[in-house]
Amino acid sequence: MSASMVIRLVLKDWYLSRGLFVAAILAGLATLGAVAAAKGAMLAMILGVIVLVTILIGMGAFLMSSTVNERKQQTLPFVMSLPISYLEYTTSKLVGSLFIFGVLWLALLLGIVVTILITPWFPHGLIPFVVVMAVEVLATTSLIAAVSVTTESQGWVIGITQVGSLALNAVGFSIVRLDGIRDTMSGPDVHFSSTAITILLVEFAVIALMLAIAFYVQSRKRDFV
Amino acid sequence: MNDLAVKFAGVGKRYPHYTLNDIDFELPTGSIMGFVGANGAGKSTTIRIMMGLVHQDSGSVEVLGHSMPAQQAEAKLDIGFVSEDMRLYGPATIAWHMNFIQSIYPRWDQPYAETLLRRFDLRPEQKIKGLSHGQRVKSALLLALARRPRLLVLDEPTTGLDPVARREVLAELMAVLADEERTIFFSSQNTLDVEQISDQITFIDRGRIIDSADKEIFLDRWRRLRLVVPPNTALPQFPGIVEVGGSSRLPVLTISRFDPAMVAACQEAGVAVQAVDPMTLEEIFIVNVQIRREGVVA
Repeated sequence: MSASMVIRLVLKDWYLSRGLFVAAILAGLATLGAVAAAKGAMLAMILGVIVLVTILIGMGAFLMSSTVNERKQQTLPFVMSLPISYLEYTTSKLVGSLFIFGVLWLALLLGIVVTILITPWFPHGLIPFVVVMAVEVLATTSLIAAVSVTTESQGWVIGITQVGSLALNAVGFSIVRLDGIRDTMSGPDVHFSSTAITILLVEFAVIALMLAIAFYVQSRKRDFV
Repeated sequence: MNDLAVKFAGVGKRYPHYTLNDIDFELPTGSIMGFVGANGAGKSTTIRIMMGLVHQDSGSVEVLGHSMPAQQAEAKLDIGFVSEDMRLYGPATIAWHMNFIQSIYPRWDQPYAETLLRRFDLRPEQKIKGLSHGQRVKSALLLALARRPRLLVLDEPTTGLDPVARREVLAELMAVLADEERTIFFSSQNTLDVEQISDQITFIDRGRIIDSADKEIFLDRWRRLRLVVPPNTALPQFPGIVEVGGSSRLPVLTISRFDPAMVAACQEAGVAVQAVDPMTLEEIFIVNVQIRREGVVA
């Protein structure tokens, strides 16, 4: 596999999505600023979380559906006329899209963590829950990426995005009730309990499994255009 | 050096409602093959197999010495591909596309690319989404030509173009033909375009190649004979009569293996030859398709 070709394709996708990416970063930072300025008001915090999750899921769905868009907008024949194999194309789409999304995800996660740490209104014990939920968003995005690359179907991507969003609420609702999470959330210290670590490990394992399945399905495809 | 740019041997591809059968042809280096067929004949599928984008179920494909689809990445380094359904990135400019392609192809010829920009009346700062269909095709052609490919694969590039844009595109292709090492595979429904630039013609219909030969051989061997047959005189029998039209007294023979000696043979048989009409490639294609579909062997 040619790493340089994969990097060129990733840079191409970055160039084509850079405007929305910058807008998402600015919107995320503005939201965090507004939450911090609200001095711990519960309504502002809830609205801020909703906006941030919406930005992440929306950008995730946009970036991950680039494979569907390549087919829909008929740019796939152009890309596939380049000296690349389908494995390189798949790698650029999966790894590249997740990398671009990862930059946004990491920036917003760091923004949230810093906001919690430097403002006096949020307990630092909230951070493990925030990290667990952020990785859950990453897993949802990985699922959307895997479905997008393997099905190349807009219907499937829309469906899985909706299911992923609903699942995110259900997972958050369930996790917050776990002893290992609930007991430390309102504490003054950052403490990753064994429950939080286990959940994180499971989430990362699920991400790896979804990517592996996507590569396997792609490797068995025979027709690409 | 391999003298064959493309070699298809017994290539087949089966879809639920369509089958490509035993596609065999060879394209020598430096030649221009026109690939002619109606909608759904199998032109695009053949080209996709040639590009490694669709895996054949049977048979073998070699392009520029590379086995397809296994070595498609290596082969595509020397191929310029433009298809009617290919689109460039709408939000990006022509200049961005040129830089992108230049970063991939070491033989990218920037002065030639700038010449093509002027010749096609394109501006590098133009965004693709603001271009007309003709400008988009010309942009795609520019990107394919300026990488200086050894093989140019064009899948109906002139479809949907207005007459002026079509003429400009064909003129540039004619200019490209000056390079004797460059091979072109050109598919089209428009036989006039194919007749203009190709030196080899292959007809495909319903997933099968029905005829393939040099263009001049096609044009030389197909004729329409307009005869006057006196009463009680039998129509002479020649090999390659594929169609008999007109009336019994004024028949019109369509012949796929015309020989000038046939005219003398008619006269010896007492049949007057009113005219020996050459046929256009379009007429040859249509008759060829009809006789194959009706099961008549030419």
